[in-house]
Amino acid sequence: MARIELKDVRKVYGGNIEAIKGVSLDIEDGEMIVLVGPSGCGKSTLLRMVAGLEGISSGEVTIADKRVNELEPAERDIAMVFQNYALYPHMTVRQNLAYGLKNRNTPKDEIDRRITEAARALEIEPFLERKPRQLSGGQRQRVAMGRAIVRKPAAFLFDEPLSNLDAKLRVQMRVEIRRLQRSLATTSIYVTHDQMEAMTLADRLVVLNAGRIEQVGTPIELYEKPETTFVATFIGSPSMNLMKLGNGAGWKMSPEARLPNNAATIGIRPEDIVIVNGNAPGPVRAEVQVAAVELVGAESYVHALTADESPVVFRVPGRSGIRIGETMALTADAARFHLFDAAGKRV
Amino acid sequence: MQSVVFPNKILPYFLVAPQIVLTVIFFFWPASQALYQSAMREDPFGLQSNFVGLANFRLILSDENYLHALQVTIVFSVATALLSMGLALLLATAADLVVRGKGFYRTMMIIPYAVAPAVAGMLWLFMFNPAMGTLAYLLRRNGIAWDPLLNGDQAMVLVVVAAAWKQISYNFLFFVAGLQAIPKSLLEAAAIDGARGSRRFWTIVFPLLAPTTFFLLVVNTVYAFFDTFGIIHSVTGGGPAKATETLVYKVYNDGFVNLNLGSSAAQSVVLMVIVIALTAFQFRFVERRVHYG
Repeated sequence: MARIELKDVRKVYGGNIEAIKGVSLDIEDGEMIVLVGPSGCGKSTLLRMVAGLEGISSGEVTIADKRVNELEPAERDIAMVFQNYALYPHMTVRQNLAYGLKNRNTPKDEIDRRITEAARALEIEPFLERKPRQLSGGQRQRVAMGRAIVRKPAAFLFDEPLSNLDAKLRVQMRVEIRRLQRSLATTSIYVTHDQMEAMTLADRLVVLNAGRIEQVGTPIELYEKPETTFVATFIGSPSMNLMKLGNGAGWKMSPEARLPNNAATIGIRPEDIVIVNGNAPGPVRAEVQVAAVELVGAESYVHALTADESPVVFRVPGRSGIRIGETMALTADAARFHLFDAAGKRV
Repeated sequence: MQSVVFPNKILPYFLVAPQIVLTVIFFFWPASQALYQSAMREDPFGLQSNFVGLANFRLILSDENYLHALQVTIVFSVATALLSMGLALLLATAADLVVRGKGFYRTMMIIPYAVAPAVAGMLWLFMFNPAMGTLAYLLRRNGIAWDPLLNGDQAMVLVVVAAAWKQISYNFLFFVAGLQAIPKSLLEAAAIDGARGSRRFWTIVFPLLAPTTFFLLVVNTVYAFFDTFGIIHSVTGGGPAKATETLVYKVYNDGFVNLNLGSSAAQSVVLMVIVIALTAFQFRFVERRVHYG
């Protein structure tokens, strides 16, 4: 149980390459923070800096109000779950769980008690005497979680822990991680590039881009009020349609859609676009030709091109009967517009 | 096992032929010659030989000198394997910590492997020769009565060091590769789990190196048994008083110096059996404790 604070944390490689360009973040006790961003945005580096696996070039990291910059990973009272699980292959599951406790000279009966407890919570009791190679991916993932839990650390750090699992198992484990984290109320930092995972797990989401924080907020805040065009396109799938104002871009604005003067880009979520019949008026309108239809089950994503070949994606329910090559008119409610200025900031 | 079917019936035999030819010429043929010889006894003038059954074996196994050579071989092999593997592991873990000049350090470490056994022996002989060796002089000046020409134990130390030194490079290479093959995340997990320094080494690194260590154990044992002839021959010649006469050296001495071909052949057959048994034993019992990836 602990707060984690990052104060203007920077990481510089080789004297001039700045991987983390000044990140400040307060993580509340018991909170689940998800760091999300495209590959190379520095999210893993940031996590590893908190863990103590990477040095901190400047700035300060505190865990439970204690500066940890100079501490060894073992002294920071954290536990980490790795992408490849990093289970010790020559030890049984029980030995894997006990290893961290043994190194801290925990009494034997205490170790046994904690292992039994964790094994029950994660339903890995039947595998305790097995070696990791005899387990499936999902079971290994549970053991990796168990190894973090038995330590009862101040914080859990997750480094893309689900990316090696198949889609179905990933969803299942995601729910389980959330449930466990809630019940243990342990402060957690979770790194992922999967925005679905990020949205469903996070108390607060941190979107990173090129070593900087783009926006911090609850998942729904980020979805409904993205501060930048980067966040707007990164959060949500399929991603938000962005169109430049002024040059037409195939979208025609009606005069009554009074937009702020400094608005340079309009963003419209795929679910906010509707098909209109004939000449029905709307604040915005585009004639498009359908390029592809993706039926994903309950709904379909329609990919279309406007007159000037800029792409548009929108959602329609189930089997829409829309055919490739078809032309149609689209509109959207002005209240659902996301407006950004020329620098990509929200207006 | 998946069976592969070649469309051409003869080609597969052509492909394995070189290996088979080599094995037949350099192993089966001499081995069968040794087997044949081991059951023969030659007259003192080498004019004729008679079939004597297992008499040669009975003779060598009841020969005190032979049992002594066996003992010497065991001491020599165990010491050589342990010393060369231990030092190589130490140097390999050190190489892992080197940040600058990694390539240079590694290349320097590999050079001894390119030195011929006899030359390696000569190097150590010159350094530790009681009459002219620089290091022998230093040892003596520091109060150690260094004389491997008279003291059997010191002679043993000298050949073990020379033989181990030559093998360190080879072991080093494999240990470096083995260390690199250990996933970094495992070491990081261990660091977070609070294992540091020697504890991390013995509980994580060393067990994960087991496949490499096991492989090297087999290779080094075979090396110490067979490939150290050149070193022993140049450093001590098996002396003093047979203190460094290993089984292989005795085969050479009895067969090619004393021309007792029957006994020598019988000894080499025994040697062959020992090595086959040793390797089988290592694979049967040591390998069980080895974890592969």
